[in-house]
Amino acid sequence: MEHHQSKGDTLSPHPNPNRNPCPICLGPVNDESYLDQCFHKFCYNCILRWTKVAAYKHSAPPTSVKCPLCKTENFSIIHGCDGFSFRRHFIGQDFHKSDFFTKAHKYRLQSYYCETGTLIDVFNPTRYWKLHKYLQPSHWLYDWMRREIQALTQEEDVDIIVHHILGVIESWRRNEQTSSRTSPEAKQERFRILVSEAARCFLTGRTNQFVNELEMFLASGLNMDAYDKVYLKNLGWKIPEINEDEEEPHEHAPVVPNLYLFDEHSDYTE
Amino acid sequence: MQASRARLFKEYKEVQREKSADPDIQLVCDDSNIFKWNALIKGPSETPFEGGVFQLAFSVPEQYPLQPPQVRFLTKIFHPNVHFKTGEICLDILKNAWSPAWTLQSVCRAIIALMAHPEPDSPLNCDSGNLLRSGDIRGYQSMARMYTRLAAMPKKG
Repeated sequence: MEHHQSKGDTLSPHPNPNRNPCPICLGPVNDESYLDQCFHKFCYNCILRWTKVAAYKHSAPPTSVKCPLCKTENFSIIHGCDGFSFRRHFIGQDFHKSDFFTKAHKYRLQSYYCETGTLIDVFNPTRYWKLHKYLQPSHWLYDWMRREIQALTQEEDVDIIVHHILGVIESWRRNEQTSSRTSPEAKQERFRILVSEAARCFLTGRTNQFVNELEMFLASGLNMDAYDKVYLKNLGWKIPEINEDEEEPHEHAPVVPNLYLFDEHSDYTE
Repeated sequence: MQASRARLFKEYKEVQREKSADPDIQLVCDDSNIFKWNALIKGPSETPFEGGVFQLAFSVPEQYPLQPPQVRFLTKIFHPNVHFKTGEICLDILKNAWSPAWTLQSVCRAIIALMAHPEPDSPLNCDSGNLLRSGDIRGYQSMARMYTRLAAMPKKG
């Protein structure tokens, strides 16, 4: 194939716009994705479909897939790279089967791939800092952060990470209570740096948005359910293909309908 | 269904664009059915198939390229890995070792390679396989050459 193409390029006056097609559909690569060991490139849907077909040959679901091009054993598909973060689909991992990964986790994970900028105006973190609300700890922070980090890492046991970050926040708050000479902006800045440092090695490219989300949650002063409702209401307003109600009752019932929006392209799809 | 059509159409365009790229292979799509293809391949040189032109029939499944195409020889050939009567081909990439990165064109190349390098230990044609396995290279070659002349070369006169 490569051989043909290089020959074609020298012959044709117009460079072929599709020089590196997806080896599976032979079309332009759609939702660029890479296998984690050999880094061969495919459309996300193409390689995902091939992974499923290849899995039928095994009696137990395999945890790896051979690259269609070079036969290297690969364990995950890396996709959705935006320069800061990426998504990863582990071969044979099915989040619909694991108990901890609820629909609420899905929506949290999805929110990291949407434009959520307008939520800043809704929750208004600036006001939170100006009015010294940060001196009052949030009762719901532990639960919120646990779910958030479970969603981002796709791991169930995240207590160590949560305690670590909460510990950093707590000691920062104690410092603030004694010395409060600095401006709200400086406090906010300091807070963001400390949390980023604590979270970065676990959340890597998603750290900055995690800190944004954390600030918004704290600024909202809401509990998790109420926060989810406000959050999704605003997100729903932004997304046209929203389907309002067709879910069975659930503890997060009002927010559930939005959760399937990005199913096709998210980390947890089979 | 749609995916296989789109992909076959891409292959069709590539074949049209690169007609002279591989003079040993001539791939033609059925006029009315993009899932049916025929190929003419030249027997590789320095083999008993040299000078012959062999016709292959492709039947492409709807799940292509996730499933391999079915290929068989329409031209009679004496080869350990080709069924003498049906033309069925025993080749790993057409079965378990299939990868969606193969194309009809590259499958043809693989079949040409198989013609030059028979695998007598997994024979579909036992007579042919046994000749090779017993070390009777000359016997194998003369039989194969005879069938090439009979079936894969234009009749003289």
